[in-house]
Amino acid sequence: MLESFLQQADIFFNALSAQFYFTNIILLAGAVFLGIVVGAIPGLTATMALALLINLSYGMEFNLAISFLLGVYVGAIMGGCYSAIMVNIPGTPAAAATAMDGFPLAKRGEGGLAIGTGVISSFFGMLVSITCLIFLTPFVYKIALKFGQWEFFLLAFFGVMICGNLSTGKDPVKGWVVGFLGFFTAMIGLDKIYAFPRFTFGLLQLKGGISLIPALIGVFGISEILIVLEKEIPYKILGKITQVIPSWKVIRSLIPTAIRSGLIGVGIGAVPGAGEDIGAWVAYDTAKRNSKQGEKFGTGVLEGVAAAETANNAVIGGAMIPLLTLAIPGSPPAAMFLAAIWLHGVQPGPMLPIENPGFLFEVAIVLLLATCFMLIWGLILARPMATILKIKREILMPIILPLTVIGAYAGGVRVFDIKVTFFFGILGYILRKLDYPMAPLVLGIILGPLADVSFRQALMQSRGSLIPLLGRPLGIILLTAIVLIAYSGFRRTIEYARKHDHPDSPKSIE
Amino acid sequence: MVKTDKMAAADLVMGIFLITFGGVVIWASLNMKIYKTFLDAPGFFPFILGIIFVGLGAIMTSSSLHRKGYEDIRQSIKHFNLTHLSKNIEIRRVMVLIILMAIYIFVLIGRIHFTLATALYLFFTLYYLKSASLFKIIIISIVAAFVISTFFTKFFHIPLP
Repeated sequence: MLESFLQQADIFFNALSAQFYFTNIILLAGAVFLGIVVGAIPGLTATMALALLINLSYGMEFNLAISFLLGVYVGAIMGGCYSAIMVNIPGTPAAAATAMDGFPLAKRGEGGLAIGTGVISSFFGMLVSITCLIFLTPFVYKIALKFGQWEFFLLAFFGVMICGNLSTGKDPVKGWVVGFLGFFTAMIGLDKIYAFPRFTFGLLQLKGGISLIPALIGVFGISEILIVLEKEIPYKILGKITQVIPSWKVIRSLIPTAIRSGLIGVGIGAVPGAGEDIGAWVAYDTAKRNSKQGEKFGTGVLEGVAAAETANNAVIGGAMIPLLTLAIPGSPPAAMFLAAIWLHGVQPGPMLPIENPGFLFEVAIVLLLATCFMLIWGLILARPMATILKIKREILMPIILPLTVIGAYAGGVRVFDIKVTFFFGILGYILRKLDYPMAPLVLGIILGPLADVSFRQALMQSRGSLIPLLGRPLGIILLTAIVLIAYSGFRRTIEYARKHDHPDSPKSIE
Repeated sequence: MVKTDKMAAADLVMGIFLITFGGVVIWASLNMKIYKTFLDAPGFFPFILGIIFVGLGAIMTSSSLHRKGYEDIRQSIKHFNLTHLSKNIEIRRVMVLIILMAIYIFVLIGRIHFTLATALYLFFTLYYLKSASLFKIIIISIVAAFVISTFFTKFFHIPLP
């Protein structure tokens, strides 16, 4: 016991010394600042920020790259609250729930207080999620070590199914369709077992497959540019920011909501692909139902801002748990982070604590430092942010395109990857216009190879029989979960169709 | 005013597309080489995906038919007018932006210097969007293209296309 503790302490201090040096701290502070600014600007999401900035991390040392990307991630999720509160346009989808009460508060002249509450709640959410990350991840590692080919296949399938189910409101089939399209995308190129070319249509460039980063940049970068620029939406910043830091009495009254929302955020974050926006909405809804002033939610209640902001930042730590243990990202920005650490040669999964024992602590330390910088920058930037938000999106968004082009090209130095980005950008735009979520597509591309190889190898080992699966408890749990998700999803789809089929009901979607 | 379920028509089209696409995937996967058995053949997993696509397509088609998606398609075909479509500001804006992006990616990049290609793309896009005055647009296009190129090549040693 003592030996184990000392071993962990040794790993922790090694990780601390690996991350705690001047260049890294300065870079982290800059990355959090950059993340906050990017996240605050409507149209620039945390995923897009990471997609664009991955190319800057190519030439960095691994430790610096980790700090840079996590700093941007933490900052961007919190940064979304500024525009949600001040202009009623969430800077990131994760801040959509924040606008519900944040904007009415700004209209009443309490925008500064709402921002202060949002920043402090985000700080609290991060602390909850880092604590859970440190203490829960080792347990998940132990479970993950028991995974065989069957479990990995079922987990990949489960990931796409649950993500598809959670990311679509009315019609989960749409989420599953894009998830399996992601699986299909991953099938393009040379087969991993026999190196047989699949769906390459004789094109040499396709034999290498569809690279993950160009596809992600297209889906989250180019499609976002088109979505933002398709309409002219002028926005106005309300009033002046006066008091920012809430009183101790207010902070104390928000602690129970923050703890509950933080835990919800971690839980949602740990679900493959679910993401910060879902975490924020679930926490907001739960806070509304449990609050004494629940009926006032939506009219400008600080508790609503606190619930949403605590949860969306708590998702970050939660999303790291499946990422580090199973190489399955818990949210779209986490998927970008996964792609980046793959590029640096780190392979997350059950073997990570053996191959790189300090990595978990390194991530936790970076997240903790980023959280402290987020609090400082968040409160300092509350007033100057009004100026930053005045930047016209009609100028900013076109400038993003060359950055997406460089991001797509820099990884493989192939012009073909730029064309892939363009294709996925258009595909992403069309799918988003038709109400298809993007998170399952990304998850499908990431998990496709795992599902393919694991399934085929599992079937080969069992000579085509499914009976060995019955002797694997984890496999049975995953299979049962998949069946239940499929059942509930199909039921929702049928109910949706029936509701609109009824002769007396208007064909209304809202 | 009652909002019609416009997604029903789109879902019907998508449902039919998925059934067809799934069929093509099944056919292609059955034609892939089998090394030992079909269970570990390169076409096995795509074959399963093909079946899933056909299944999901059938569900989408059925759900859309319940929601009278075919009515919307019939109405759209009946009242289809290319002039009306081109007058839709949103569609026109997106189409122009996509064309400008396509010219930048497929025509300019690789043929002329990246900085010049970027400056040209930014100028025409900003001009179309009426983002600022003509003078400001020229300045923004040149400065942004130069800064992006210099920043990535000089500071981060990242190759440009």
